Amino acid sequence: MTKRTEGPRDLFPGALEMMVLRTLKWQPLHGYALAQHIKRQSNDLLKVEEGSLYPALQRLLKEGLVTAEWGTSATNRRVRIYRLTGKGAKHLEREVSKFERMLEGITRVLAPAKS
Amino acid sequence: MNWLPRFFSRRRIYGELSDEIRVHLEEKVEELVAGGMLREEAEHAARREFGNVLRTEERGREVWRWTAIENFWLDVRYALRTLRRTPAVTTVALLSLALGIGANTAIFSLTDTLLLRMLPVRDPGELVEILRHSPRMADDNPVFTNPMWEQVRDRQNAFSGVFAWFPDKFDLANGGQAEYVRGLYASGGYFTSLGVEPLVGRVFTAADDQRGCSGVAVLGYGFWQQHYGGQTSALGSLLRVNGHSFPVIGVTPPGFFGTDVGDRFDVALPICAEAIIHGKDSYLDGRSTWWLRVMARRKPEMSDQQATARMNAIAPGIFASVVPPNWPARQQQIFRKYTFAVRPAGTGLNGFTNVRSQYTRPLEILLAIAGLVLLVACANLASLLLARAAAHRKEFAVRLSLGASRGRLVRQMLTGSLLLALGGAAAGIVVAQWGDSLLVRLVSTAQTRIFLELSPDWRVVGFTIAVAMLTGVLFGILPALRATRISLSAAMKEGREQTGGEPSRFRAGKLVAATQVGLSVVLLAGTGLFVGTFRNLVNVDPGFDPHNVLLARVYLHNANVAEGARAEVYGRMLARLQAMPGVVSASECWFTPFSGMEWNEDITVEGYKAPQGEEPLVWFNWITPGYFSTMRTPLLAGREFTPADTAGSTRVTIVNQTMARRFFPHSNPVGKYFRISEGGDLTSSAPMEIVGVVKDSKYESLREPTLPFAYVPVSQMKMVPESGSFEIRGAVPPASLLGPVRAALGNVNGAAALEFVPLTEQVDDSLGQERMLSLLSTFFGGLALLLTAIGVYGVMAYLVTQRTHDIGVRMALGAPRAAIGKMVVAETLSLVSLGLVAGLACALAATRLVAHTLFELTPYDPLTLALAAGALIAVGALAGYVPARRAMRVDPIMALRNE
Repeated sequence: MTKRTEGPRDLFPGALEMMVLRTLKWQPLHGYALAQHIKRQSNDLLKVEEGSLYPALQRLLKEGLVTAEWGTSATNRRVRIYRLTGKGAKHLEREVSKFERMLEGITRVLAPAKS
Repeated sequence: MNWLPRFFSRRRIYGELSDEIRVHLEEKVEELVAGGMLREEAEHAARREFGNVLRTEERGREVWRWTAIENFWLDVRYALRTLRRTPAVTTVALLSLALGIGANTAIFSLTDTLLLRMLPVRDPGELVEILRHSPRMADDNPVFTNPMWEQVRDRQNAFSGVFAWFPDKFDLANGGQAEYVRGLYASGGYFTSLGVEPLVGRVFTAADDQRGCSGVAVLGYGFWQQHYGGQTSALGSLLRVNGHSFPVIGVTPPGFFGTDVGDRFDVALPICAEAIIHGKDSYLDGRSTWWLRVMARRKPEMSDQQATARMNAIAPGIFASVVPPNWPARQQQIFRKYTFAVRPAGTGLNGFTNVRSQYTRPLEILLAIAGLVLLVACANLASLLLARAAAHRKEFAVRLSLGASRGRLVRQMLTGSLLLALGGAAAGIVVAQWGDSLLVRLVSTAQTRIFLELSPDWRVVGFTIAVAMLTGVLFGILPALRATRISLSAAMKEGREQTGGEPSRFRAGKLVAATQVGLSVVLLAGTGLFVGTFRNLVNVDPGFDPHNVLLARVYLHNANVAEGARAEVYGRMLARLQAMPGVVSASECWFTPFSGMEWNEDITVEGYKAPQGEEPLVWFNWITPGYFSTMRTPLLAGREFTPADTAGSTRVTIVNQTMARRFFPHSNPVGKYFRISEGGDLTSSAPMEIVGVVKDSKYESLREPTLPFAYVPVSQMKMVPESGSFEIRGAVPPASLLGPVRAALGNVNGAAALEFVPLTEQVDDSLGQERMLSLLSTFFGGLALLLTAIGVYGVMAYLVTQRTHDIGVRMALGAPRAAIGKMVVAETLSLVSLGLVAGLACALAATRLVAHTLFELTPYDPLTLALAAGALIAVGALAGYVPARRAMRVDPIMALRNE
């Protein structure tokens, strides 16, 4: 069942979560701002359905990697602002280093063969 | 993990999620509008970018869910819907489960109360019973004399408390017909050692139980409620017991019944009060009067072995000080060597009513029977579910092809069957309630009422739930596995079930029905054997004619009659009875057959030597002239006693056939002599002349091998006991004699206590276990037969429905209707015979286990087995006939047009 909740547009399982955590490490944000930020940062290269952000946020909340508080947005709306927890920071570090190792592996394989 | 708060906050989380998404969309729309888009357009765009809102919410929620539990709830709701859709089938299923599970619960509940439950006292696990161990006997003896008990009480240091008791009948009436309550002589430490606190007033202390006491009474809760309406004013009032008054000092709490399972006490007196009740016949100094049972509370730190060792350190001293002086020297020697033994007594004892030892075996058998019936009921449900699952084949096929896992479907179906089973169990507990009261009534006899509190405890509830779960899985698993084993393409392609490529065989269903037949054969074989045993016992010739005989037992304890005058009082009473209109004849004896009393003595016969390992033991009774004609026991040789046999004349005796054969083989015993080896209080050891031989009769039970039996005339007894029995043969039913007899006896002595029972009832009471087994096994056998009939019918009816098309084709091709019917019946019978063969094989193995409860029947009794098989064939044929008729009435045109 968890498989299906990842959503078809997720690049790979956990990628969206990683980006959310990374963004929140920089500053606490509410859902809409998060979505816009990820879109901008990726230069619209990644096609992320905005809605898929929310299940991901629920998962992070459940795992205790982020916390949420009701607050007021820049546009004066009552919104939930997400904040990275200590546990979330550690998780992000681990995931990023795992991801980098994977990326390195893939890059090596894809690199033109040296003769 | 703090899952509990989360469970309750889920609704809030879901709400927040929806709010958040709404705000997100608003923000997006506003931004787009600010960028110059039309609001309507912007709303569309926002939604497009966001994706499916509902789906997103759903996925967000799923994060918080426990898949397993929520799926379970879905399954439960699905199952309830399915069950509701077929109310008739569901009702039948629930009903058969309720009967099946209820029967099991009822019988288990009785077993639990009788055998497993701990006494409702403080730390029952610490209680042990103290026994006497004789070097000469295999079994330890639980009965003590009072002098022996007093020694144990005063000298022991092995236990934190010891206590003794004796259950007795107490007569509350002031002479005339006795008004018995359940009495108890209890030692001073009885209640305190058991840890029973008084509900009101106080219980006995050591000071209440001193020799020469004036006596006080403690009441049982039930008696206090009935006789005093639960009023505390009962305290201090005087209660008359056997003509003596005792002040009431306290009441024990509800639930406390004493230490003997199946019994309960109404009134307890201290042991010392026995001297008041029995006067100079008191047991208190009797060194060979064995009556008291002794229990003790173990010290927590001491094991049974240690306690026994401590007791045995003082055993020689104790036994030496209470040797019966009138015993022969050799037996006194053995007596001094007695030791003590202990055994756990936390679950209470098999007391005076003997109900525990009598019913352990029958209850085990009944539990097995009820278990088999439940299996038969399970089989019915299994075939029902199989049929239902077959009807759902397409649904399952669709779901499987859409990606549902097989395990998920199996789980869903099992949830349904477990639900059904639990519903059945709930109804079964209600069934068990009345089943239990019925059982207790069956166990009770006219003379021995059984008191059992059958409140369900954790063990009973646990048992019921376990049985229900097991049942649910048992009848659910096969249909669930079968139904989900589907070749997808085949199932989907089937245009309609009826026109599948090959006609449905429903082999699983037939197998289940055959199993039912097999189980039923086993049950019916058992029923046949138990009913046969009961019939054989009822048909046993007891050696007397119990019909139209009223027994009147007379007690002279409080009648102020001197020992020497007892015979004279009895004589006057007898004369009155004999003169009464409606009385054919009357006589007197010490005790009547099947009364549970016995008197036996070793005898010496000139020239006779008992074979190795056999004692020359003979059972006795004293009687008056006219006894044999009243009992209608035929005199085979010699004469009856006459009034001419007096204390002064030649000592005479009459023997039965068994005694004649054993001691005087190959010769006429009349005119021969024998003597009681060691005379006692009752008779001397002077030789007696045999003046007659009577037909054998049963002494204590119909099952017993006939005992060697000798009768002596009451006129030649050294001492006449203070109780005796009158047998009154009436020309009218015993009930109508009761009033006049009571008046006649009361006329002679108004203070004599009286007890009445028809002789037939006394004989019937000895058949309690057999009656219970035959009644209940008949009920269960019938139930199994009914369930099997329904099961076989169901399977065949289903098959016929499935094959309507097939049958239509055959008919269209010219098959005669009779042939179609014959085909269905033949198929039914082949199914039944398959079950029969397997069942008979099982029956042969199973009935061996009950061999020793049978009477004059072998476990392989061919007639019984044939009847059981015949019953099933008949039921099978009937169950096949109805669907066969339906098959014959199939209209080929309709059947084919349905395509």
